[in-house]
Amino acid sequence: MKADSPKHIGARIQRFEDVRLLSGAARYIDDIRLPGMLHCTFARAHTAHGTILEIDTSGLADLDYPTWVFTGKDTAGLSMKAHQDYPEMQYSEQPLLAEGKVRFVGEAVAAVLAEDAYKSEDAAEQLFIDCDPLPVVGTMAQARDASLPPLFDGWHSNVIVQRQMKGGDLEAAKAAAAHIIKRTYRNQRQAGVPMEGRGVVAHYNNADRVLTVWSSTQMPHLVRTYISEELDLPESRIRVVAPDVGGGFGVKGQVFGDEVLIAWLAMKTGRPVKWIEDRREHLIASIHARDHEHTLEAYVSADGRLLGLKADISVDNGAYSTYPFTSAGEPGMVGKVLPGPYDFQAYEATFRALATNKCSIGTYRGVARPSAVFSQERLMDDIAAELGLDPFEFRLKNIIREFPYKNVLGFTYDPGSYAESLELMQTLLADDVAAAKASHASDTTRVGVGIACFIEQTAHGTPDFTRRRTPIETGYIAARVEMAPDGTVTIDLGLQNHGQGLETTMAQVAADALGVLPSSVYVRHGDTLTTPYSVGTWGSRGGALGGGAVHVASLKIAEKLKAIAAHLMQTTPDEIELADGQAYMRSAEDRFIPISKLARAALRNVDQLPPGMLPGLEAEQRQDGPRDGTYANAVHAAVVEIDVPTGKMQLKRFVVVEDCGTILNPLVVDGQVRGGVVQGIGSAMFEHFVYDEECQPLTTSFADYLMPLAPEIPNIEVHHFETPTPLTPLGAKGLGEGGAIGPAAAIGNAVANALGVEVRETPLNANAIWHLSAHLRPAE
Amino acid sequence: MTEITLAVNGTAKTVDVEPRRLLADVLRNDFNLSGVHIGCAHGACGCCTVQIDGVPRLSCLTFAVQCENVEITTVESMGGPDATHILQQAFKSEHGLQCGYCTPGFIMTLAPYVDTMLAQRRMPSDEEIREAMSGNICRCTGYHGIVSAVRKAIGDQLGSEAAA
Repeated sequence: MKADSPKHIGARIQRFEDVRLLSGAARYIDDIRLPGMLHCTFARAHTAHGTILEIDTSGLADLDYPTWVFTGKDTAGLSMKAHQDYPEMQYSEQPLLAEGKVRFVGEAVAAVLAEDAYKSEDAAEQLFIDCDPLPVVGTMAQARDASLPPLFDGWHSNVIVQRQMKGGDLEAAKAAAAHIIKRTYRNQRQAGVPMEGRGVVAHYNNADRVLTVWSSTQMPHLVRTYISEELDLPESRIRVVAPDVGGGFGVKGQVFGDEVLIAWLAMKTGRPVKWIEDRREHLIASIHARDHEHTLEAYVSADGRLLGLKADISVDNGAYSTYPFTSAGEPGMVGKVLPGPYDFQAYEATFRALATNKCSIGTYRGVARPSAVFSQERLMDDIAAELGLDPFEFRLKNIIREFPYKNVLGFTYDPGSYAESLELMQTLLADDVAAAKASHASDTTRVGVGIACFIEQTAHGTPDFTRRRTPIETGYIAARVEMAPDGTVTIDLGLQNHGQGLETTMAQVAADALGVLPSSVYVRHGDTLTTPYSVGTWGSRGGALGGGAVHVASLKIAEKLKAIAAHLMQTTPDEIELADGQAYMRSAEDRFIPISKLARAALRNVDQLPPGMLPGLEAEQRQDGPRDGTYANAVHAAVVEIDVPTGKMQLKRFVVVEDCGTILNPLVVDGQVRGGVVQGIGSAMFEHFVYDEECQPLTTSFADYLMPLAPEIPNIEVHHFETPTPLTPLGAKGLGEGGAIGPAAAIGNAVANALGVEVRETPLNANAIWHLSAHLRPAE
Repeated sequence: MTEITLAVNGTAKTVDVEPRRLLADVLRNDFNLSGVHIGCAHGACGCCTVQIDGVPRLSCLTFAVQCENVEITTVESMGGPDATHILQQAFKSEHGLQCGYCTPGFIMTLAPYVDTMLAQRRMPSDEEIREAMSGNICRCTGYHGIVSAVRKAIGDQLGSEAAA
């Protein structure tokens, strides 16, 4: 690159997408309005488990406006099928509208349509759903109780799937152990809860026979494929558009039955149909996450070396299997990631998903890793305490230092900065550790410091999904890059941007490869009409794979620009350098041609092209992930202060040391880390979906489901190591989820340190802290 | 249906609405102001915040028919299509937004706060800034960039006044 031209990758460039978001000009799903549009309201189950006796719609006749109503009888046979091809897995389908039975409170039973949303809501109130209650399966213990009926006909029990994964000789590890430490850890049910709920608008055009579906989704192409398969429509005549999306976090990273249903309703009624989820619906019937119990047994040598680990993992799945990651995805991921950043070669995990009468479990930022890391890192502290070792020293003794490293399950870790991150964190926290120690003599104010050390497999490639046999099947991201005759650039990106800054970072990547300014690059995304087929934005693959695809595609165009420039300047392409909007000759930098002139030659003045070269400046790249993904690493630390007389806990400090490989834009990277951390703090301290014993949801508004507010959160300190991976084109590793993975473990360890107790479960809310600190208060 | 005249962003317009219709819905549908976002519709998240006579108010807890003879302001009027208001610019430079859904609500809540601080010629502490936004939920940023944006908007103005 020309020595004096700025490199855009790595620059702290302000985001191009911000102006429309700040000015109110953005278009979210509820801003899609079409002439003649009908509004849909779902009548939902009030009973957690029951047989539908009757759906009485006679009340609609009393209304003085037109309504349309559809039930499971109308949509019979249409369903969500999310099956992982494991022989042990019991098959289930979720009907688009309940057929015969309801299996959780909030399940859609009928769709009621009217010409105004207020009217469709009123009309849905007129329906009476008569249900004969069945025994409720409300807990994981009940799901394993053979005396309770299975949720689905033909099932042998409510254990949806149970499998094992193992590596090395666990018996030998156990025999060699001087210490065997066994603990059970528990994480609560919560979810991503974006500020914009979900919503779908659909319209079928009879003239060209094209079905257009707008959905607040992270994966428009997968929505298109599923609708095509389920409604038996040619995929070429389905267009799915994700408009501006108000947060996703994995919640919008599955295909939902309502996306198929709203499309079906638009075709059935011949009118555009819109459904906008309200907050109560979102909290009870969209998607839930976490809800794990892990029993871990560690085998440790006398000198503090981890020899082996045995794990038993259960996830309360709720009623249905979600598409495309399925019921097996969440517990299986725990089994896969528990070996973590530590060097040991004997492991066995048994994992299972259990069916209960609750909202289904799906993906949420970190997918199983926040729970796995909570257990792994609480266990590390519990072992260190039992052996009388310092938590840093114990981890440094066992941390992986040589790369590439093949772990106990056969996954290969690419280079990272595991030990360096721990050592830096140790230095950063020295004063807090001393202050905590000093406070432990006090019975009024206790300070605690806790850390979480973890890795995250990101940007998984197709082989990973093939091994798992999930319906997702692949993990590539595509980009099509095109230069117009004026030299400006369009990227049609297979990712969907919902806060990640992709309209800016992808422009930075193309700008460096093409020698133009990022501001001359327009990034389009979210519309299957314009973007190449891709799996969407999830699994921390945007920067690593989307960036890789843009880079490689842009280089193909750059090669052609160089060939044209060489022809016009009578030199060879390797003599040409693209920078600052010009094609320079390396040996004579005062000789240059504007890139816009080359673009015009490629597309308009094609007589100027080298002999035999075809016109055009476009290229496409599908970037698949590496076989085992690329491993990002981080250490999180929390400093808490607990007022023992009241049990009030304050988060005083939160520090992150992270390594996501090449940083595309530090503004965006820090934003992703901090946002993830605060969601993780929500998991650790606040958020909890509570059901009563009849499986009635009790947290149905933001007054009950508590997310972190600004006053409870400190500024989040972020430090970086940058170890580029050889496995992606730019050296970038995945980044989006990491922030959310560590906080529950770090805060759990901080509370344990402050109070001198073992912490076994989250959330560590005011009630939990009150109980955990009881031993420090005088007995009443 | 009730005929009401609302003054929104400096322009008065007469609309026919049901008395139960929420101000948020009337602004979005009858005034085409898509910057008014509904996050929870039960007054807990602050996404729908607009200003009524300059004071932040939740448009999901307000009926449109209550709003005659007041001045309603939405994010569209703050800095126009280029988002030129000092607070909007500070949100951009400090990465105070990601998905943007909660952002108009934060801007409408915090712009009067910035004005108050500037009138008092005072830089608030981070704790005070965080308290000022405690009625708004942001799920993306972790609030860090929003706190920085408020500090920058106030700091830049105080700095340029001092320099002048």
